[in-house]
Amino acid sequence: MEEIIKQGLILSILSLGVFTSFKIIDIPDLTTDGSYVIGGAVTVLLLHNNVYWLFALIIGGLIAGFSGFITGLIHTKTKINPLLASILVMIMLYSINIRIMNGPNMSLPKVSEESSVSLSGTKLDFLLDNNQNDVLLGENSKNIFINPFEENALLKLSIFVFIVFLLYYLFLKTELGTLLRAFGSNKHGVLSLGINPNILSILGLTIGNFLSGISGGLFSMYAGFVDVNMGQGMLVTGLAAVILGEIIFKKDFLFKIPAPLIGGILYQIVISLVIKYGYNIGFKASDLKMATALFIIIVIATRNMEVKKWLNSKISLSFTTKEKVMKKLA
Amino acid sequence: MKKALFVLFVLFVSLSFALTVGITQIVDHPALNQVKDAIIKTVKDENPDVEILFQNAQGSYQNAVSIAQEFKNSVDIVVAITTPSAQAAVNTIKDKPVVFSAVTDPISAGLIKKFGKNDGNVVGLSDLLPVNVHLSLLKKIFPNAKNVGIIFNPGEQNSITLLELSKKFSKDLNLNIVEIPGTTSSEMITSLNTKINSIDVVYIFTDNLLASTMESVAAILNENNIPSISGDIELSKQADSVIGFGFDYYSLGLETGKMVNEIIKGKKTSELESKTMDMDALDLLINLKSAKKFNIVIPESLLDIADIVLR
Repeated sequence: MEEIIKQGLILSILSLGVFTSFKIIDIPDLTTDGSYVIGGAVTVLLLHNNVYWLFALIIGGLIAGFSGFITGLIHTKTKINPLLASILVMIMLYSINIRIMNGPNMSLPKVSEESSVSLSGTKLDFLLDNNQNDVLLGENSKNIFINPFEENALLKLSIFVFIVFLLYYLFLKTELGTLLRAFGSNKHGVLSLGINPNILSILGLTIGNFLSGISGGLFSMYAGFVDVNMGQGMLVTGLAAVILGEIIFKKDFLFKIPAPLIGGILYQIVISLVIKYGYNIGFKASDLKMATALFIIIVIATRNMEVKKWLNSKISLSFTTKEKVMKKLA
Repeated sequence: MKKALFVLFVLFVSLSFALTVGITQIVDHPALNQVKDAIIKTVKDENPDVEILFQNAQGSYQNAVSIAQEFKNSVDIVVAITTPSAQAAVNTIKDKPVVFSAVTDPISAGLIKKFGKNDGNVVGLSDLLPVNVHLSLLKKIFPNAKNVGIIFNPGEQNSITLLELSKKFSKDLNLNIVEIPGTTSSEMITSLNTKINSIDVVYIFTDNLLASTMESVAAILNENNIPSISGDIELSKQADSVIGFGFDYYSLGLETGKMVNEIIKGKKTSELESKTMDMDALDLLINLKSAKKFNIVIPESLLDIADIVLR
């Protein structure tokens, strides 16, 4: 259970990032799938260079935030649809991440002693000139890195996540944060205040991706590695967590920030239950993506006012007679 | 109440005596499934009462970690197939034996410190290929070839390791490696089509994406009369390679299963050696039909020791 909460806390920071773009500023942003990885990649790379983990994490987040900044810039300056702009940045990040890690996968620094292995003894060895087939593999590292999440991980993570959410709340209370929220509910309203809405779009996207980068960095440290494919589907995961949180936490209290926090942990609990018992009820892991997507569609659909009306009418129709309907129509 | 306690007690006893092996794998893939099937068969044959749990992360790295967490509490021995699943298991589980399989470079993946015996709870098998032998074989069969095309997915660590090794060994053999990358099947095909005129021969190795795209790749090579040499028996059959030299993933699984059996018998992981596949077990495949097509004479010395000859 402890491990599930740890993973849930890490996910909740990602959810907060998704919450920022989808709920606060109301711009669909797919950069998340890439910025999650770049956050992890930069963090692990810096750890290999003996940077203190907290700084590594924050720098990773800042660079992830920068990718959100680029998405915002492309969207506002070239008027490319935000969805397309973010997909473009996301695929750019795939290449950049491989550059950063110098390969598709990178482990946390671990001491490696010897990295050569002999592959001799094949029946075709007579073809080799030097009769040698010693292969030198890539080394991992020479430096000793003590993972901060090896001891008291739950406490450390809880404090970290609490601070992030607290800072986020304090930010939303400032004048800038208020503007950001106003911008989300009415894109053109801020114009009357003499504020350039483009700046707010860019700011929102930067913060959202900063948070997903931090989440990616935490996950890499927690899991022990970063892989270029690990961001796939993270946006949907984050969105599902936010929606899950909103079902539980309906009140408009603390700007709804607790929703992504609760949602992240809840989502992780659901996933763990599926992994644990899913096979017994014939549920395959491959069905998980389908289930997640359907869940999001159903929740959003039932919240939609017109769908609600339609549903109500269907239900009431079955109870009332045709005459009553005719009367109403008349 | 007493009855319930008794049932609980019986459950506890039966649970604590039946050994459980958990297998974790990152995606569904024919080669990886073969490894899994072979492991299950080897372990079950020798220990029929051992319970085996299998979990597939379906490509999600978060799920791979969740599976490792689940195994931490529910199983006694963990078997991790592929690099990311192994990394998740090794970083999560410190007090139970973890056996990795189908990981090309376990050292830079941070799984073990060195090949051979290691302290700690991790041991396993690498699926590293003898790249040097492959390239020497290529030189022997295609003496006039200069530009060797390698089709790979830059998103797969295993392929990158093999590519780097190929580049390193190609210098001594005076060969030029032409990279043909693709992160999706369609990218791979586009990439191959654009570079098809600058390659003389293709060296096929165990890239997962390439394996899935093999049919289209084989068709393109066939159309353009480009011969190939393969580091995997299954792939060389699909691609009609002139020659193939490698192991099938089923035998990798069998070897891994043997390692698990040793641990079930009571050996510690520190007493077992992490190694690559036994180089003696590599099979040589020669496709005489393809050889004829490209006017290649296969030396008798090779035909004599071939395990599979396709006529």
